[in-house]
Amino acid sequence: AQGQVAFGSMQQDTSAPVEVTADQLSVSQSDGTATYSGDVVIVQGDMRLAAPQVLVVYSEQAGRIDRLEATGGVTLVSGEEAAEAERADYDIEGGTVTLSGDVLLTQGDNALTAQTMVVDLDTGTAQLSGRVRTVLQQQPTEQDEP
Amino acid sequence: QQDRAVDAAILVADTVLVENDSRLIASGNVEALSDGTRLQASRVVYDQEAGLLSIEGPIRITDESGRVTILASAAELDEGFRNGLLAGARIVLDDQLQLAAVEARRVDGRYNALSRVAVTSCQICAGRAPLWSIRASRVVHDQLEQQIYFDDAQLRVLDVPVFYLPRLRVPDPTLERARGFLFPTLRSSTLLGFGIKIPYFIPIGDHQDVTLTPYLSSKTRTLEFRYRRAFVNGDLLVNGAVSRDTRETDEARGYLFAEGAFTLPRGFTLDFDAKLVTDAAYLNDYGITGTDRLDSTVTLTRARRDSLFQSALVHYQSLREAEDNDTQPTIVGDIRYQRRYFPALIGGEIRVDGIAHGHYRYSSTDIDTGDSDDVVDGRDLARLNAAISWRDRWTLPLGLRAGVSTHLWLDHFEIRQDATSPERVSAATPGVAVDLRWPFARGGAGGSRTLVEPVVQLGWVGGTRPENPNDESTRVEFDEANLLSLSRFPAADRREHGATLAAGLRMMHRAPAGWTAALTIGQVWRDEADEAFTRSSGLQGETSDTLIAGRFASTNGLSISARGLLDDTARISKAEARAAWSNDRIELGASYVLLVTDTDEERDEAQSEWTLDAAYQVTPNWLGSTEWRYDLAGQRLDRVGLGLQYRTRCVEVGLSATRRYASSANVEPSTDFDLSVALLGFSTGGPAKEIRPSCS
Amino acid sequence: CGFAPVYGAGGAGGKLLGEVALPEPAGPIGYVFNRRFEERLGRAGPDASYALRLALATDEEALGGTSAGATTRYRLAGEVRFTLVDAVTERILVSDATQAFTGYSATGSTVATLAARRDAEQRLAVLLADQMVDLLLLTAPELPR
Repeated sequence: AQGQVAFGSMQQDTSAPVEVTADQLSVSQSDGTATYSGDVVIVQGDMRLAAPQVLVVYSEQAGRIDRLEATGGVTLVSGEEAAEAERADYDIEGGTVTLSGDVLLTQGDNALTAQTMVVDLDTGTAQLSGRVRTVLQQQPTEQDEP
Repeated sequence: QQDRAVDAAILVADTVLVENDSRLIASGNVEALSDGTRLQASRVVYDQEAGLLSIEGPIRITDESGRVTILASAAELDEGFRNGLLAGARIVLDDQLQLAAVEARRVDGRYNALSRVAVTSCQICAGRAPLWSIRASRVVHDQLEQQIYFDDAQLRVLDVPVFYLPRLRVPDPTLERARGFLFPTLRSSTLLGFGIKIPYFIPIGDHQDVTLTPYLSSKTRTLEFRYRRAFVNGDLLVNGAVSRDTRETDEARGYLFAEGAFTLPRGFTLDFDAKLVTDAAYLNDYGITGTDRLDSTVTLTRARRDSLFQSALVHYQSLREAEDNDTQPTIVGDIRYQRRYFPALIGGEIRVDGIAHGHYRYSSTDIDTGDSDDVVDGRDLARLNAAISWRDRWTLPLGLRAGVSTHLWLDHFEIRQDATSPERVSAATPGVAVDLRWPFARGGAGGSRTLVEPVVQLGWVGGTRPENPNDESTRVEFDEANLLSLSRFPAADRREHGATLAAGLRMMHRAPAGWTAALTIGQVWRDEADEAFTRSSGLQGETSDTLIAGRFASTNGLSISARGLLDDTARISKAEARAAWSNDRIELGASYVLLVTDTDEERDEAQSEWTLDAAYQVTPNWLGSTEWRYDLAGQRLDRVGLGLQYRTRCVEVGLSATRRYASSANVEPSTDFDLSVALLGFSTGGPAKEIRPSCS
Repeated sequence: CGFAPVYGAGGAGGKLLGEVALPEPAGPIGYVFNRRFEERLGRAGPDASYALRLALATDEEALGGTSAGATTRYRLAGEVRFTLVDAVTERILVSDATQAFTGYSATGSTVATLAARRDAEQRLAVLLADQMVDLLLLTAPELPR
């Protein structure tokens, strides 16, 4: 079953430049991919993705990245929201980030857990599914004020 | 901080869409939990800014105790589900009572205000009106106080309005011990005419309560009361009534019964049971109890593995026409103690007994005058009895079990206001008994088992009977329990003397199918007859009547047992039988008693009587019961009772009729009809859950 | 004809003698019941092989109503439900019940009826104990040594 979550109080421009910093890089010309490993951090505009290992797949046109596959425990931060999962696949062309495996999304005081989360960077919404569990901190109503 | 955690609500759903940081849409098996209240729905839109939930059904909200369930098709509620509006709401209380309304408004998580409401605890089947329902323009259910308030309440039976009340307050079923009226019963009696009883229950804390029941009829104004109190180590129950009726025109009548039981330190228990009545006929006129002697008692008891302490103070008030409370012993005091020792040195068991007993008659006439018995009118008596015995039992070759017991009884009597007896009597009496039991057993085909046990006892009691009068041992019974006994008198003011030989044969068979049958035959021979034995005791003369006792019990709940005494001409001098059969549909108890004419036992004509009481579950809802008592000797019906009970999930109707034929100065023949109708599901009428509802 | 003395060489009665521990009596009737049981099968020492669980219930019924409404006869009915368990493992070895009744007359004086009632209670306890001993003796062959 599908559900949508607004991810990031603002949309994300997928065409913005992508910076990647990591300890090592190994490039494989044959299939046009590169593997960053060791505290890899990818920054694009206001979105920041950190993971122990990221596989970068380049598109045929030189210099353009087609997709990123971050594995080994991923943290994705955008504005107030932060999400953790085992794995994240950033499809730059499609403009979506798919997190999977014990996804935890914290949004201000609320915390949501699910099996998979697909973030649509164009509409700024995220779709959680797989028995989503949400812990909502209720705004203390007037009489609760100490 | 801490209170923030309390406010946390947990929401679980198949999918969750948060459009922005305040609006959240959960759909697919949505479950939300907040402060113990649990909500289930198909879709919930949660606007965190406004703290509002708009919910699509089917909605189910259950409170923490799980006893209040609210169902609705749609709802707008706040975060804690405490305030808001529900459409197509149905509130189910304690799984019994249902309040259904077009709309319900929830206020502060406490009040559920319903409009155009139908309330019932009956099974609601499509297309059929519930047996009863209460319709109201408005109902407020106060969840905290557990009360239900009706406006313009209309009681309908099968949808036909039968009763109207502008205002009505009823406790909801989750409230135990609610204060208020219980369901009335109608009572028609030939003695007191047609009347109604309306009980009013008043709880005092959770360990005391009072029930006041006005009973108004054409012939009586009565207030019945019951007070109950629970203590840490016991409880108290007081029942009573005060009446002014046409049967005793000048002054008020009534009764008071109070009973209590308390456990005291070191294993003692204290019980008391007081019974007072203004006049002898009251209890029978108002059908309270059939007892014909009111005994008020205070007892202090302790039973331990090797010692038994019993003490009692009893006051009697006889209601029997033929008995005069002046010449009957009305105040009785009794203290007894027995201790058992098991000396390693000589083996066997030593028993030491001490009894102090006294009984007092108001009259001080020292001879027997005009009252119905031939006992000295004013005799007062006290006795001190001590006893010491040693007994042991061995297994001899060939499986013989031999027992020896030696006894010494020391008795002392003080007798006053009795011209026919000395003032002081003492006696020391030795006794010895040797008994042999030789049980044989056989395992038969299919696992059947048979036991055959011949038993015999040779007894000797020395001394001769002292001169003290016989006040307490005038009714002697002879059965398998005292077949092998040195003295069969019930009290220490009489003892058997001389040599006796008692013999019996005990047989028992258990069939593979599980039924058991047993038979015991016995007889006692003595060197000289004891004139203290009455004819119906079966122990008169040098050869006792033959004791025959049998019983049969099967695994399907049937049990028959009988005991009889056959005199030397094989005529029955006493017979008692009892049959009981119970399974899940029928509960049957029949008994028969035959006692021969015996002037010594003040029975100048034979007594034989059949009693039968049966209850039959005709259908899961209908229960019929009946009670018969027929006096064969007097060729008359003594009592007839019929009962009918209709019980469904939501109503219990009980109708009973009893006709008693006995008549004397204090007892008048009477016919009583009782009708009670209770709507179940309110905490007044009892739980409505037992009967499994079915729409068939 | 297959009968063997219960306490004889081939019989199993011996297994129970002095080997059945009784519960504390709940009241006077329980006291007399235990006393009679120990009279018949001996008193158990601290390391008895078996233990007995008892539930004693009695009920009184008024009979013999005269035309004047007096009650001349009472019946005391009693039942004991018992389980014999292995004293160590608490495994249930026998589970059964037996019923009995005694009667007493109420035509005598108040103290005569009081004495007759107490005697009827004691006799009922003796009957129930004797009948339970019979049932135990019948199942003794199946008891583990």
